[in-house]
Amino acid sequence: MSRYGEPDDDDEDELDEIDDDQIEDVTEIAQVAASEAELVMLTRAIVAGPDSGDDMWAMLCRGRNLPKKIGPTCAGLLEDAFGKVWLALWHRGGTKPRPTLTGTRGRLWERYSPVTLEFSEASVHLMRWLVATPFSAPASTLTLLHAMPLTLGDQVVVYFVLDAARDTPALRVIATQPFVRNAPLAWLGFAPELAGAAVPPFASLVTGGGPIVIEALADELARRWQATELAKRSQIDPGVMIALGEAQDRVLGSFMSACDSAGRRDLAGFVVDAASPLIERNLSPAPGKLDPTSPLSTRAQARIAAGALLRALVRWADWDQQHRAIRYIDDDYALAQLMLARFEKIGTPGVGRVQAWLADLAALTSMPTASESATLPARPEG
Amino acid sequence: MSRAIQIRVSESVVRTVHVEDGVQSPLEMLPILAPDRMGDLLAAQLEEQGFVRDGDIATRTDKDGVTISVDLKNASVTARISATEKVEESIDRRQSVAIERQEASEAALRDDVRRELDERIDARQEALRKDVTKKLEKKLADLRNELDGAVGRATVAALTERAASLGHIESVVEDEGGNVTIKVKL
Repeated sequence: MSRYGEPDDDDEDELDEIDDDQIEDVTEIAQVAASEAELVMLTRAIVAGPDSGDDMWAMLCRGRNLPKKIGPTCAGLLEDAFGKVWLALWHRGGTKPRPTLTGTRGRLWERYSPVTLEFSEASVHLMRWLVATPFSAPASTLTLLHAMPLTLGDQVVVYFVLDAARDTPALRVIATQPFVRNAPLAWLGFAPELAGAAVPPFASLVTGGGPIVIEALADELARRWQATELAKRSQIDPGVMIALGEAQDRVLGSFMSACDSAGRRDLAGFVVDAASPLIERNLSPAPGKLDPTSPLSTRAQARIAAGALLRALVRWADWDQQHRAIRYIDDDYALAQLMLARFEKIGTPGVGRVQAWLADLAALTSMPTASESATLPARPEG
Repeated sequence: MSRAIQIRVSESVVRTVHVEDGVQSPLEMLPILAPDRMGDLLAAQLEEQGFVRDGDIATRTDKDGVTISVDLKNASVTARISATEKVEESIDRRQSVAIERQEASEAALRDDVRRELDERIDARQEALRKDVTKKLEKKLADLRNELDGAVGRATVAALTERAASLGHIESVVEDEGGNVTIKVKL
């Protein structure tokens, strides 16, 4: 081509030499209705998670009416988006090499055989509701999303939806929906937002593909629980603290029992990971700023409620004692060793500190906060 | 043309309000002897401090109205305070209205007055509740020290009893820091 953009003779020769098989097939862009396009875009953004870069609040405020049925092209695109949920889970924490139950190390897909992640119509129903609901409108005017039976894939979608909405005012509305409250995975990740409703059973998360999902999200869950513990320190409203503590107690109690029954105590490892940095930094969850005009009985109840994660850690300590008693010749030796290694960073000094915090939370008068205490070591040893 | 008239509504209320507040906390009793015996030893210490034992519960009511109950069996303490007060409030209100709206306006005014009376009573009740909470809070620091002392002495008594079961006690020495040394000849 000449410098002025006009084809010269040499260029024409080159064009003539291109064979038909050298020309790439151009895939036709799928055509869907405008409302369907929004459904697909929102689903893709939610599955992509924090990396999507989309303005989630803007997407949730549109409130577009959807026809009763979606076309086959849209259905195909949704299927494609949901098909990337496993990939999204890997990105969230599945790539980290970790020890397996048999003692060898590997990434999540190396630790488990492939499992199908099933989605039901509930996932589509949820996405349709999200597209159709104008979240900027008063909450009382919005349509309720009734509970439906959820597969594991549906639960992951619910978790992703809550995560995508976490920094928007829509989170509160989404978290109050019976549909969302019916997802045990949502409770593990968002107990503070869901507090006040009945906690569903956790059996679906400790069998089949459940453990893979939990392991992929373990680091994220630990970070969430840790952030909640820190937020307790500045909680003012004792009523909120009581509701949160009760929800956390029920979630952790029920989940840890399910893990225990399924022989998968390791799945509750995020409890240890969440509490460990707080113990190291001597940050008790004691709410030091509770409304001083509220009844003392309510404040005392709130202080006790604040210890939910600590109580779960005490249960872990009981497990730790049981694991210590498992001998080399016993069947569960490898698992016990894995569990002992997991709890090592808490250790006896850490358990001692947790018990001191719990005693402080239940004390008649509020003692100096643990961070002010000079008698405990700043960092537990061994 | 309608005529304006003045309506007057006068309402008063006398209500007895009851408020209470309380906290419960575990006592840190070391399991040196059987739970029943530990309870007996704690009860003995508490009785010296004016508590009255009734079965597994030792109770004392102080001058400031705080009732302290110690559950000897479960090793827990409950501090409770309550207050009852007769609250009187009255409101007298006038309003100018058109004569043809007299009945409706009077009913609306009466509703307003009653609502305000309820709010005033609630406010008085809340003020009373805050007052008892403050009293209880003031009490707790002293109570904690008192109970810690009783539990400490009961623990020493239990240790002494336990030591006596092992052999002949030669001496029991308590230093300024509250540490107790029991010498036993086996």
